[in-house]
Amino acid sequence: MANPQNRNFQKTSFISFARIRVIAGHTFTQLMRMKVFYFLVAFVILLWGAKQIILPNETGGDSSPEQELRLIKSAGFAAMNMFSMILALSATALLIPKDIEDRTLYTILCKPVPRLDYLLGKLLGILVLIFVSLIAMDLVLSFFLNQKASAIIALQTEQLVGIGMPQEMINEQLAGLKAHGVTMNIHYAAFAIFLKATVIASIALLISTFSSSTLFTQILTLVVIVIGLIQADAREYATVMAQFGESNTLSNISLAIAVFFPDLQFLSVEDGVIDGRNIPMKIMWQISIIASFYFAIYIVLSWLTFRKKEF
Amino acid sequence: MIKSKFQQEPAFAVEIRNLVKTYRSSFKGNPDDPFYKRIFTRQTFCAVDDVSLSIKSGEVYGLIGPNGSGKSTTMKALLGLISPTSGLCKVFGCDATRVDARSEIGFLPENPYFYKHQTSAETLKFYGRLCGIKGKELKERVDELLDLVSLNHARDRRLGGYSKGMLQRVGLAQALIQKPRLLVLDEPTAGVDPIGSREIRDLIFRLKEEGVTIFLCSHLLEQVQEVCDRVGIIFEGQMVNDGTLEELTSIENQHELVIENADDGLLESINDLVRQHGSSGAKLVRSGTPRSSLEKLFIDTANERKRKEKK
Repeated sequence: MANPQNRNFQKTSFISFARIRVIAGHTFTQLMRMKVFYFLVAFVILLWGAKQIILPNETGGDSSPEQELRLIKSAGFAAMNMFSMILALSATALLIPKDIEDRTLYTILCKPVPRLDYLLGKLLGILVLIFVSLIAMDLVLSFFLNQKASAIIALQTEQLVGIGMPQEMINEQLAGLKAHGVTMNIHYAAFAIFLKATVIASIALLISTFSSSTLFTQILTLVVIVIGLIQADAREYATVMAQFGESNTLSNISLAIAVFFPDLQFLSVEDGVIDGRNIPMKIMWQISIIASFYFAIYIVLSWLTFRKKEF
Repeated sequence: MIKSKFQQEPAFAVEIRNLVKTYRSSFKGNPDDPFYKRIFTRQTFCAVDDVSLSIKSGEVYGLIGPNGSGKSTTMKALLGLISPTSGLCKVFGCDATRVDARSEIGFLPENPYFYKHQTSAETLKFYGRLCGIKGKELKERVDELLDLVSLNHARDRRLGGYSKGMLQRVGLAQALIQKPRLLVLDEPTAGVDPIGSREIRDLIFRLKEEGVTIFLCSHLLEQVQEVCDRVGIIFEGQMVNDGTLEELTSIENQHELVIENADDGLLESINDLVRQHGSSGAKLVRSGTPRSSLEKLFIDTANERKRKEKK
């Protein structure tokens, strides 16, 4: 069976994409068998419900049809944010401590698997799952939004034609509505949510490499998320206060926070998309680069902590 | 040029020299110390103290000792799961802290837990892929190992429904997946019934015949005595005895005769002969009917029952 004679050591490469793929594939399957995709059913029901809502006409501000489209987008993006954040936070915080507790980590690290491969494989498995889920949710959102927008546009066209409005003016009126329908911006926003989840998952990974409990990892990651979501406002407030000569200390603290914690608000483009604004490609490139930077930093820190960790 | 470093077959499969492993406890100190020292001083605990041992290629070595004596720590140092405080561990001449060393080690932890969502075939494929085995070779290897550990009938059942003994056999199969030259077994028969235990023991003999070096820790001294060529006894982190079974267990001034079908007259003659030589210090220490072991009785009964059921 075994052939122990005349064999030499095989050199194990520092990083192997084949091994990372094996661990990522396994993590993806593991999470899928935990039935996380059941969330999609709840998502479909939520959007179907949002689609049924008909708001009464109001004077001033946006017209009700536009608000109805905003409602679907708001509900969709909120659910996408929530799902990806919960999954990035809980799955990442759970998987490594569980492997240690169940001693499955022993059997993996006793194979020729560098610890960086293990970390990247686990994280990649979670990110693939989030990515697939967000694509599915993006499709569901686009479907319901398109249905609602088409119905509204058809109704509006009929009404405007009925009062004898010229076609040019009708087109002008409908342009605003179309901006609230399915555009590339919807997909950009979904991608931005994925980038945010990537940063959150890498933070949770870093914390789980030195934390001894899942709960501690989850709480600490949550604290970092909250800081990440409000730090831009805090920084702006401190800068304004400093301009009025109120306090430089506050400004310095907010700048120090900006060095160590990610600015998650910067990665959010959903609010603009809900308002029907166009997201320039330049912004998408910027947030992709920033998210990749955060991801790389947290991965390197995770590896530095994990590579000498004793089990 | 790592490969050339190991071209020559080293003298020992395992070489542990002056291994010391200390752990730091939480922030507690000597109660006699001043208050600040109690807060800021960490106590150290020596798990393994100056342990040295070497295992020749193809040998079966058993490390025995009470709970907390340092067996697992020694094993973990050999597997690269912990870094020695001082001293060194080598596997076929390669530093055990290097990932390369793991390509030649198969490890079965005590009470192994695997991913419950996987079947045994999937588990073996997963570990095989981590070792770089793929395609037809992997499939054949998985089939071969499932046959070897008698789990082919349950290959597509999820591990969540496996008994402890079956999990132990999956553990053994995953340890052998990459045809390692060194097999490290931590309590290999823990929780396994006597028949399963006998099968594992037979497998150890078979692997030994094929030239695989085996390093095992067990509390079952009888089993260690049966399968091991050499034994080390570790107590409170220190190696207190190390040698071949013959060196360690034989009583040099006594001899044993086992005679079959002897009548009373022959036994009386032997007694007389010993008495005649009494002046030289010779005396009969013990005589009687040798007993079979309870384990042998159990296995014979179980086999008899199986034979009857087949008829």
